[in-house]
Amino acid sequence: MSWLVGTDIGGTFTDIVAVHSGTGDTRTAKVPSRPDAPVDAMLDAIAAIGLQPGDVTRFVHGTTRVTNAIVQDRLPPIALIATAGFEDVLEIGRYRRRDLYNLDIPPKAPPLVPHERCYGLTERLDHHGHVMLAPSEAELGRMVAWVAASGVTSVAVSLLHAYANPAHERLIGERLRRIVPYVSLSHEVNPEAREYERASSTTINAAAMPIAAGYLSELEQRLPLGPGLQVFHSAGGMVSTATAKERPIVMAMSGPAAGVAASVQIARSLGLPRVLTFDMGGTTTDVCLIVDGDAAMTDTRMTGDRPLRQPMLAVHSIGAGGGSIVQQGAGGLSVGPQSAGVEPGPACYGRGGMRATITDANAILGYLDPDAVLGGTVGKGIRVDVAKAHAVVAPIAAVLGLDVVDTALGIIQVANATMARALRRVTVERGVDGRDCALLAFGGGGPMHAAGLADIYGLSDIVIPAASSAFSALGCLTADQSFVQQQTVRLPLAGLCQATLSAHIEALRTTTTAPLLASGSGVGAIRISYVAMMRYEAQSDTTAVPFNLPLDAAALHADFQALHLQLFGYATGEPCVIEGLRVEARVPSSTCIVMTGGGEGHAPQLRRCSFAGARDVETAILSRETLAGIVNGPAIIADAWSTVVVPPGWQAVAEPEGHLRMVRRPA
Amino acid sequence: MTVIQTAALLDPFIVEVIRHGLSAAAEEMSLVLMRSARSPLLREAGDLSSTITDASGGLVAQGRDIPVHLGAMAYTIRELLKVHPLERFVPGDALIYNLGALGGNHLNDVKVVRPVFVDGVIVAFTLSLAHWPDVGGSWPGSYLATATDTFQEAIRIPPVPIASAAGVNQAVLEMIKVNVRDPVSAEGDLLGQIAATACAERRIQDLCRVYGTDIFLRTIERLHDLSEAEMREAIIGLPDGVFEGEDSLDGDGAGAAGPRIHVRITIAGDEAIFDLSGCCDRLPNFCNTTPFIAASAIIYAARLLSGRDMQQNAGALRPLTIITRPGSVCEPGWDAPVAAGNHETSMRIVDAVIRSMEHVVPHRLAAGGPTTSGLLAFAEPMPGGGWRLLYEVHGGGEGARHDRDGSPATRVHMTNTSNTPTEMLEATYALRVERQAIRRGSGGSGLHRGGDGVVRAYRVLAPKMLLTTCVERMVAPPYGLQGGDVGKTFQIALERNGQVSALPGKANLFLFKGDLVTITTCGGGGYGVAG
Repeated sequence: MSWLVGTDIGGTFTDIVAVHSGTGDTRTAKVPSRPDAPVDAMLDAIAAIGLQPGDVTRFVHGTTRVTNAIVQDRLPPIALIATAGFEDVLEIGRYRRRDLYNLDIPPKAPPLVPHERCYGLTERLDHHGHVMLAPSEAELGRMVAWVAASGVTSVAVSLLHAYANPAHERLIGERLRRIVPYVSLSHEVNPEAREYERASSTTINAAAMPIAAGYLSELEQRLPLGPGLQVFHSAGGMVSTATAKERPIVMAMSGPAAGVAASVQIARSLGLPRVLTFDMGGTTTDVCLIVDGDAAMTDTRMTGDRPLRQPMLAVHSIGAGGGSIVQQGAGGLSVGPQSAGVEPGPACYGRGGMRATITDANAILGYLDPDAVLGGTVGKGIRVDVAKAHAVVAPIAAVLGLDVVDTALGIIQVANATMARALRRVTVERGVDGRDCALLAFGGGGPMHAAGLADIYGLSDIVIPAASSAFSALGCLTADQSFVQQQTVRLPLAGLCQATLSAHIEALRTTTTAPLLASGSGVGAIRISYVAMMRYEAQSDTTAVPFNLPLDAAALHADFQALHLQLFGYATGEPCVIEGLRVEARVPSSTCIVMTGGGEGHAPQLRRCSFAGARDVETAILSRETLAGIVNGPAIIADAWSTVVVPPGWQAVAEPEGHLRMVRRPA
Repeated sequence: MTVIQTAALLDPFIVEVIRHGLSAAAEEMSLVLMRSARSPLLREAGDLSSTITDASGGLVAQGRDIPVHLGAMAYTIRELLKVHPLERFVPGDALIYNLGALGGNHLNDVKVVRPVFVDGVIVAFTLSLAHWPDVGGSWPGSYLATATDTFQEAIRIPPVPIASAAGVNQAVLEMIKVNVRDPVSAEGDLLGQIAATACAERRIQDLCRVYGTDIFLRTIERLHDLSEAEMREAIIGLPDGVFEGEDSLDGDGAGAAGPRIHVRITIAGDEAIFDLSGCCDRLPNFCNTTPFIAASAIIYAARLLSGRDMQQNAGALRPLTIITRPGSVCEPGWDAPVAAGNHETSMRIVDAVIRSMEHVVPHRLAAGGPTTSGLLAFAEPMPGGGWRLLYEVHGGGEGARHDRDGSPATRVHMTNTSNTPTEMLEATYALRVERQAIRRGSGGSGLHRGGDGVVRAYRVLAPKMLLTTCVERMVAPPYGLQGGDVGKTFQIALERNGQVSALPGKANLFLFKGDLVTITTCGGGGYGVAG
C-alpha cells in the first residue's frame, strides 16, 4: 500500500486528503482537532479515512500550532543575547501605537524576553560587517555563565549588523550549544537589516523551538516515515521535520499558505493569469494574489503584537468569517472582528450562540441545508436551526425598521464589503487592478459568498475548486519541497562587484538546498530561483525583481525600472542598489490529483431562498457530485462540506477537473 | 461593472458599504504614497496622511495616519475653496500648496489636492499630505528655532497646479526643486502624492458608478449626520459646566515658568465650546500654531473625551466650537513662524484639555507623556552642495491610566511616527548609534506607573554636521493624574572632547567629528496614589 497524505490542522477541524500513488484513488475526511494531543489527532485523521500508519508513505501537515502559541503567549522562557547597549531592542520596538484615538486599549505587549533575561554582550560590527570590537574570551565566559545560571533551555542571539557578518554570532552559538539544547542565531533565522524585526523573529523562533521539537519528535516516533514526513511552510512548500524543528517559524502561516499553494496549481492548470484567492473560514478570511502562476510574497507579518519576518506567501488575513458577530452602533452596521468562535458559534448552530453572525444571515436566506449534519462525525454533528437565526436577527431588523430577510441580505452585503477591502489591499500593494482577476473561492464560506463579493468588487470570473473545503490539506498533498532565504547585501548596481554577489548567491544556495538534499532530493531535481530586492539609492523600501544567472546588471536595472513604473507610476534615472537577495530552492512535486466525486449525490430538490433583488424564490438545490451542464441561478450547489450559492444572473458549469466555474449569465 | 440594485433608497447597508469603500480609498492613498515615496521620513516613519472630503471640503474619510495632520486637513480644502472656488477646477487637476493660511499646519507639510469629477460635477476631493524633510529656508530641515517670521522658515507655496490631465506641471516642479535642499526626494515624494490622489479619485468614481452619484452624495450626508449624532450623544454624557485646565511650554529653558497654554471648556447639553483665548501671546520663535493646528488638537482631544469609536468626519465637528484669540500663540497672524508649534504646542493643548477634565472623566484619560516630537534633525553636507537629512523623532513613556501602567517607548496622542532602525541609520548616515536603551525608573510612580522613556546616543562620524533640536518636556514634566507622580523630563547632552554640556530643546547648532549627542526621553506620569 502506498498512500500520500496531506492534512491541515486548524483550530477547530483537521482536514485530511489522501491519494493512492498507484491507483489515484482519493479519500478525504474531517475530524475534530485536539490542541492538547496534536499527534493523536493526526493519527485519528489517518484512521478516519480507513488507513493504518503503515499504509502511508508520505505525510505532509500544515498546522496553526506555532502561530497559536505565539499569539496566545504560551511560550517557554528563553534568553536573548544582544549587542551591549542594545539589549532593550524588543522593548523599544518601533514606537508606533495601534490605535490613534482610543487610549482604552491594552498596552504595548511586554517584550517576549523580559529585561532580566536579556544579556548585553560587549562586541560591535559596523554595517559593512567590519569588526569594530570582537568579543573577548572573558566576556564570552561571563555570557555562558549567565545563560547557565538563567536556567533557560533555548537562547536567541541577535547582534547588531549580524546579517553582514555572522562571525560573532557563530562564536557565541558554538559556546551556547555546549550548554543548552536550543540556539537560534539571527543571521540564520533572518539575515536582514533592521534590528528590531530580526531580534523579534529570532526570539519567536527560539521560543517555538521547544514546542516544535516536542510534538514533531513524537510524530517521528509514531509515524516513522523518514523523509516522507514533511511539514508545510509559510512560503508555500514543504520541508522535513528536522528543518522545521530548527526553524519552527517557517510554520507560522502553514495552513493558509497551503491553500494558496493549491490555488497556484489550479491557476497554472487552468491558465488563469491573475487570481485572487478567497478562503473564508469561521473566524478569519485569508486572501492572496496570484499573478502568472506565482503567489505574491511578503516578508513581514505581525503575530499578535510582534513582527515575524521571513519570506512567506503574502496572505492577508482579516478578522471576518462565518462566525463574525454583527454589530450595530451609531456609526452604522458592521461585522467582526468579534467572533462567536467555535463555542458557542453562530446562533443557528444551536450551541448557545445568542448574537447574530454572518452564518445566521446565510441560514435565514435559505443557503444552508436544514437537514444536513455539519462536521460529520457521530454525536458531534451540527444541525442548522433557521428559527434560532431568525430570533437573533429579528431585534436588529426591528431597530432598522426592516424585515428579517432584508436585514440578512444587508448583513451579507456588509460582510462582502469588508472582504472586498481585503481584496483591494492585496491588489493595490502589487499595482494590479483586482477586477481583472479570477476569484478562487474555498473554505467553508468562500463558495457561499463568492458571487456576492464578485458583484460588489466588479469581478466576473469565479472558480470553486474541487474539494474546496479541504483545500489546504490538498495543498499539502501536492506541495513542492522548497526552502527560501532572504539576505541583506546592499550592493550598488553600478559597478556591481560580481565576486561579492557570487559569494552571497553561493552561500544562499547552500543554505536553501541543504534541507532538500538532507531529505533525499538529488541535486539535479532542485530548481533554484533568484530575486533581487531592489531600491533606488535614496529609497528604503524595496521591489522584488526576479533574475537569472549569470546576472546581467543592465537587464536587472531595466526590469526594476519597468516594475517600479508599473507599481508606482514612475521610474527615475537614480542609481540603484540591490538591498537584498532572495533565493528559493524547490523540488517540483510530481503529485497530481484529480478529485473524483466520491459521494453519490442526490436528486435535485427545491428550497425557498432569498437573494439581492429576488426574495423568497423557489431555488434548485443540486448535488455537486452529479452536476452536469450549465446551471443557471438561482441555485444552490452542495456537497458534504460546502455550499455554492449561484444567485440569479449567475451561472455555474462543472469543469472536467472537478472545479466549478461561475460567470454572469449572458444577457 | 455591475450596478448594484438598491431596494430601499438609502438603506443602512449601502451606507456601510460606501463607508468601507471611502475608508479603504483613504487608506489606499497612504499605502501608495508610503510604498513609492523617496524620503525615509515617509517610508520608514510614515509621516504622512490622507483624507477624502466632500465637495465643500468637509472631511469624509481618513487613513490611519497622524492625528495632527488629519485634524488640520478637516480645514485644508474648505479654506482653499475660499480662494480657489469650485468652478475653477477642471478634471485632471491637482493643486499643490503648503500655506498656513489655507488650512495649513507647518510649511514642511506639503499638500496635494485633487477634485473628483463625476459627469462634470465635483463630488469629492482627495488630499494627500506629506512631511517633506526639507522645504528650503534658512536651515537644512526647515526648522529654524530663532525664526521671527515664516519667510525665514521655508518656501511658501500658494495653491498652484502641479498636475493636469496633460501630466505633471514641470515648471512648478522645477520652481519647487530649486528651492529645497533634497530635490530628488522632494520630486519622488511629490510624484507619490500625485499618484495617491489619483488612485483615490478612481475609487470614488467607481463608487459613484456602482451605487449612483445621488446615493453616494446622500450617503456622505448620512455619514456626517451619524457622526454628529454620536458626538452629541457623547457630549450629553459629560456633565454640564465650565472646566479649565492648563499646562506650559518649556520656554527658554532657563527655569522660569514657560508660556501658558490654557483651555476653558464649556459643556452645555449636546454642545461643547473649547476656548483657547487664555493661551499666551504670539511667541518670538517657531512654537506658534495656526488656528487649524489648534483646532486639530481640540478635535483629537474631543474624540478622547467622547470615549467613542466613530467615523471621524465633518459631522463629528458640528457640535464643537473652537475659539482662538487673535494675537495669541494659537492665532499669531500668517507671518508667524510655526514649524515646531505643529507638534509641540498642539500637544500641549491636548495636555491642557486632559488636565481640565481630570476630575470629570479620569477613566478616559492618560497621565502626561512624551507630548513632543522629541526631534533631533541631523544634516550632513554632501560633496557637490546637497545635504543628507535625518529627521529622527523619539518616543518616551506613556502616561498611566486608571486601569494600567503606561507603555514604555511609544508615541502618544497627536503623532504616531516610528524610529529609524540603527542598522538602517548607520548604513545611510555618517552617524553611529552607541546605545539605545530603556530609561529604567523614569516613569512616575502611583497606583499605576508611568511608562519608561528611552536613551539613544549618536556619535558623529562626518567632519561636520548641523543639528536641530525640537524637544519639549525638558522643563515642565509629564504630569501625574489623580495623585500620581510626574515622569522624569527629557534631556539632551553633547559630549565634545570629553566635556559634557546640556543642549537646549530648541536649537540649531554645528556638530563635529567625534561629538556624541545623547537624548534621554521622558517617562510617563503615574496615575493614582500608590497603595
